[in-house]
Amino acid sequence: MNLWQRLKILLSRQDREHDLAREIRAHLDLEAEEAAPGLSPDEARYAAQRVFGNSTSVKEDVRRTWGWTRWDQLLADVRYGLRQVRRNPAFSAIAIATLALGIGVSTAMFSAVDAILIRPLPYADAGRLVMIWDEMSQIGFPKHHSTPAEWQEWRSHNTVFTDVAAAESGQAALSGDGEPEQVPARKFTGNLWTVLGVQPLLGRVFTEDEDKRSTPVVVISYGLWQRRFGGSSDILGRKITVNDSPWEVIGVMPRDFYFLPARDIDIWMPAAFSAEHLRHFSWHDELIVARLKPGVTLQQAQESMAALSLRVTAQLSPPRAAVVVPVREELAGRTQTSLIVLLCASAAILLISCVNLANLLLSRGAVRRREVAVRAALGAGRGRLIAQFLTESLVLAGLGAAAGIALAIPVIRFLRTLVPETMAIANLTLDGRVLAFSAAIAIVAGLTFGLAPALGGSRFALQEGLRDGGRGSSGARSYWFQHALIVLETALAVVLLTGGGLLLQTFQHLQQLDLGIRSEKLLTFEAPLFRYRDFDKRVAFVNAELEEIRRIPGVASAGAISRIPLTEIAGTTRYRFPDQLPTQTRAQDALSRVVTREYFSTVGARLREGRFFDISDRLSQSPVVLVNESFADRNFPGRSPLGAKLQFGRSGPKAYWYTIAGVVKEIRDRGVAQELKPAIYRLHEQADQTGDAPVGIVVRTTVDPASIVAAVRQAIWSVDKNEPVTHVQTVEEIVARQLSAPSQATALLAAFAMLALLLASLGLYGVLSYAVTQRTNEIGVRMALGATSANILMSFGRRGIALTLVGLGVGLVLAIIAARFMTTLLYGFRPGYAPAIALVSVILLSVAVIACLIPARRASRIDPIVALMHE
Amino acid sequence: MNSRQDKIELLRGTLDMLILRTLLLGPAHGHQIAKHIQQSTEDVLQVEHGSLYPALHRLKEKGWLTSKWETRDTKREFKYYRLTAAGKKQLAAEESRWEQLVRAIARVASTVTEVAK
Repeated sequence: MNLWQRLKILLSRQDREHDLAREIRAHLDLEAEEAAPGLSPDEARYAAQRVFGNSTSVKEDVRRTWGWTRWDQLLADVRYGLRQVRRNPAFSAIAIATLALGIGVSTAMFSAVDAILIRPLPYADAGRLVMIWDEMSQIGFPKHHSTPAEWQEWRSHNTVFTDVAAAESGQAALSGDGEPEQVPARKFTGNLWTVLGVQPLLGRVFTEDEDKRSTPVVVISYGLWQRRFGGSSDILGRKITVNDSPWEVIGVMPRDFYFLPARDIDIWMPAAFSAEHLRHFSWHDELIVARLKPGVTLQQAQESMAALSLRVTAQLSPPRAAVVVPVREELAGRTQTSLIVLLCASAAILLISCVNLANLLLSRGAVRRREVAVRAALGAGRGRLIAQFLTESLVLAGLGAAAGIALAIPVIRFLRTLVPETMAIANLTLDGRVLAFSAAIAIVAGLTFGLAPALGGSRFALQEGLRDGGRGSSGARSYWFQHALIVLETALAVVLLTGGGLLLQTFQHLQQLDLGIRSEKLLTFEAPLFRYRDFDKRVAFVNAELEEIRRIPGVASAGAISRIPLTEIAGTTRYRFPDQLPTQTRAQDALSRVVTREYFSTVGARLREGRFFDISDRLSQSPVVLVNESFADRNFPGRSPLGAKLQFGRSGPKAYWYTIAGVVKEIRDRGVAQELKPAIYRLHEQADQTGDAPVGIVVRTTVDPASIVAAVRQAIWSVDKNEPVTHVQTVEEIVARQLSAPSQATALLAAFAMLALLLASLGLYGVLSYAVTQRTNEIGVRMALGATSANILMSFGRRGIALTLVGLGVGLVLAIIAARFMTTLLYGFRPGYAPAIALVSVILLSVAVIACLIPARRASRIDPIVALMHE
Repeated sequence: MNSRQDKIELLRGTLDMLILRTLLLGPAHGHQIAKHIQQSTEDVLQVEHGSLYPALHRLKEKGWLTSKWETRDTKREFKYYRLTAAGKKQLAAEESRWEQLVRAIARVASTVTEVAK
C-alpha cells in the first residue's frame, strides 16, 4: 500500500468506523431477533452478544486489517508527546530552547556554507574551471599573477585544458554624458567568455578576432547599464566615452555574472595584447583561468602545468612553476576556512544540545519508570515503548526546529556580511534547501538524543518498575553514561572556547598593529592619471590639484602616492646594488611606491634615520629614495643604509642609480593583516623612468573627512573638469573593512563558544541537581548517621568538578588538534596557547563550580527528617 | 510466541477457507455466513460470530471479496459479501492444499492403526 492510499484511508477513517459499527449492530440485532423466543429484549441482546464475542476487540482486530494502525499509533504518540510538552512546561521550555539554539545556529551556518561553498557558480560546469598562478615563493608570492607571455605559451602548449584565457586589470574613466566617473574594469582575452561558458543578457561578447585587432568594443555590467544608462534598450551599438576615446557597447552581462578579482566590475574590454606585451615575462598582471579537459584531474593538471611552466620559463632566473587552484576555492578564499570552522562550531553546539537533552530525558526517564511499567503491564511491547519514546523526542525536536528557524533569521542577516568581496552577494536566505536541512538535522537530533533514553526507559523489567514504587535508587550503574555525556559536552565547549580564545588573541593583535601611519581624519581617494601620459604635464597636474586641495578649509595637508596605503599587496620591483650582477638579484623584490614630497608628513609616517624628501630633491640627476625598515634590515643588517646606491624598475646604462636618503618606520602598505615586505619610495618629480604615477591622494583634515568630500571633488575639477574622483574612503574605513572578516569570525566563534559553555554548564547543573533530588533519601540517612553538611557538599561538588576536569583535559587535547586547521584564520600570527588555555580553564572551572555548588548546597541543606519522609 | 502464531495462522487459514467456501454458494452477510458455517459443520466448529469480521475485512483487503450494503430477502439493509474471481482462485488453491494435508494425515493415521494391530 503506498502512502497515498494510506492517506485516503486515514481520511476515510470516520466512514469506515461508522460502517463497521453499523455492520456489527445489524448482526447483533438479527441475532437477538432469532434468539430463543420468550426472552425479554435485554436478555435477547445479552444472548446475542455472548454468541458474538467481545465486540470492542473485534473492532480492534478489524481495524488492524485496515492497515493503518501504525499511523494511528504514530498520531496517538504525537498527541501524547504534545501532551507531555504541555504537562511539563519548565522541562519543555528548557528542552526546546536548548534545541532551538543548536538547530538555529546550524541552520544559519548551513545557509552561509550552502550559498558560498555549495551553490552553483554562474559559469557552465564551474567544477572544471581552474586558475593558474605563477609560483614565486622565493620573493614572497606563492601565488603570483601571471604574465602575457606565459599565457600565450601555456595556451598553445598545454595538454590538460580545453582552453586557457587571461584577464588583466583595466581602468575605465567614463566621461561625456554625466559626471566623469571611474568604474572598475577588466581586460579579457577574447576566449575568456567561452572558457567560462557565459552568455550576455543583451547583445554579444567580443570575439578573439576583435581582441587581436584591438577593436574598441566593450561589454558592460547589468549594474552599470541600469545606473548610468537607465536600463535603456538602445544601449547596444551606442558609443560611450571611455578613457577619452569612443567605444561601442556591444553587450550587457546578466545581473548575476561576476568574475575575479571582485564582484563589482562594470566594464569588460578586449585585452588586446601587443606583440611586445606577449613577450613579457615580468608583466605580472594576468589572472589565468582554464577549463580542464574531460577526464583530466586537478592533480594531473597541476603536475603537467608545473612542468610546462618550468620549461617555458627555463631561460629566466629562476624558472617558475605554476600553481593550479579550483575557481571555487579561489572565490571563497579565506572565507572557506572560517565558514568550515564556524560550521564545525555550530555542529558542536548542536551536539552539545543533543547531549544535554539526552541527559535531561535520561533523568526524566527514571521518573517515568512507573508509567512505563504500567504500560508494559498493559501489554505494550518493547518496540512499542521505544517507538513512543522516540516519537516524543521527535515532537520536541520538531518544536525545537521551529523555534530554531526563527532564531536563524537574525543570525543569517549577520552572516551576509561574511560573503567575500570576490563573490556575488550570495543570497543567504531561508529557502527550501535550508529548511530541508533544518528538518533533517531536527530528525537526526531527535533520534540522537532520544535513542539512549528510549532504550534505557524501555528496558526496565516490569515487576521491578512496579515494585520499586518509583523510589528510584538506580545506583551508580546508570550514571556512567550520563557522566560520559557530561565529559563529552564539556570537552566540546573547551574546544570552542580555546578556538575562540585564539581568534580573539589574533584579532587583538591585528587591532593593535602599528600601521606606521596615523589613521584618524585621513581621507583617501584616487584621481587616475592615464590622461597625463606626458611626465612633465603629469607632475604639473598633480602639484596643481594638491595645491587646490590644500586651499580647502579644514584641510591640514595633502599628498599623493602611487598606491593608497594598506590596499595593494603587489606593485613590486627587483632591485640591484652596484656590486651585484643581475643574476644575483633574483630574491630581491621590494614594493615600489611613487610619492609626492608632502606624502609622509600627511600620513604621519616616522623616520628611523636619515631624512624625508625635501625641496632639494628636484632634479633627476641626483635621484634619492627612502626605504623602509624591512628593506634596511634585510640588505644592511646592523649598519646604516644611508648613502648606499641602488638601481630598480629599469636596468641598462641609462637606468638611474638612486641614493638612499632615509629609512622610514614600517608602513603597512600591503594591508593590515599582510606580511611586511621591503619597500622603496621615490619622489614623483624624479620618477620619469616609470609609468607609476601618484594617483592616490591622501588628505589630513582637521574636520570630519566626510564633510570635505564635495569640496575636494570641486577642487580637482577646477584643475581638470574631466578628471574622475574614485574610491573615496577614509583610512579608518579601510582598516575597518580589512578587520571586518576577522572580527566577524571572531565574534561568531566567541558567541558560539559562550553558548557552548552555557549549555555545558546547564548540562552539568541538570545532572547534579537531578542526582540530589534522586538521592534525597540517602542524604537524609547519611546525615542522620552523622554526616555534616560539609561532607555532603564535598561529595556532590567533587563529582561535578571531577567530571569538569576530565572534560577539560579531553577538550584541550582536541582543541590543540583543531587549532591546526585554523591557521589560515590566524593571519600568520602565532598566538600563544598558554594564555588561551589558562583563560579557558579558569572560565570553565568557575562556571562549573557554580553549576555544581547550587545543587550541592541544596543537598547539604536537606533536613534529614524531611529527607527520610521523602516519598 | 512462535507456536501461538502458528496456531493463529492455521485457524485463520481454515476460517478463511470456510468463508470463501460459503460465499461460493452466493452473496451473504456476516450473520448468514456464521450460521452457515455452524450448520454445515454440524456445530463441530463453534465460531464466535465476532471473529468472522476481522477475517471478512482481511479477505476484502486482499481483494478476494467485495462488499455492498443491500436489501435482499428482508426489508433491512445488510452488508453482503461476494466472492471475486481472485477469491475463487484462492479458494481452489487452498482446497487443494487442504486435501493434500488431509490425505497425508489420513495416510499417517492408517499406518499408525496398522502398526497398532
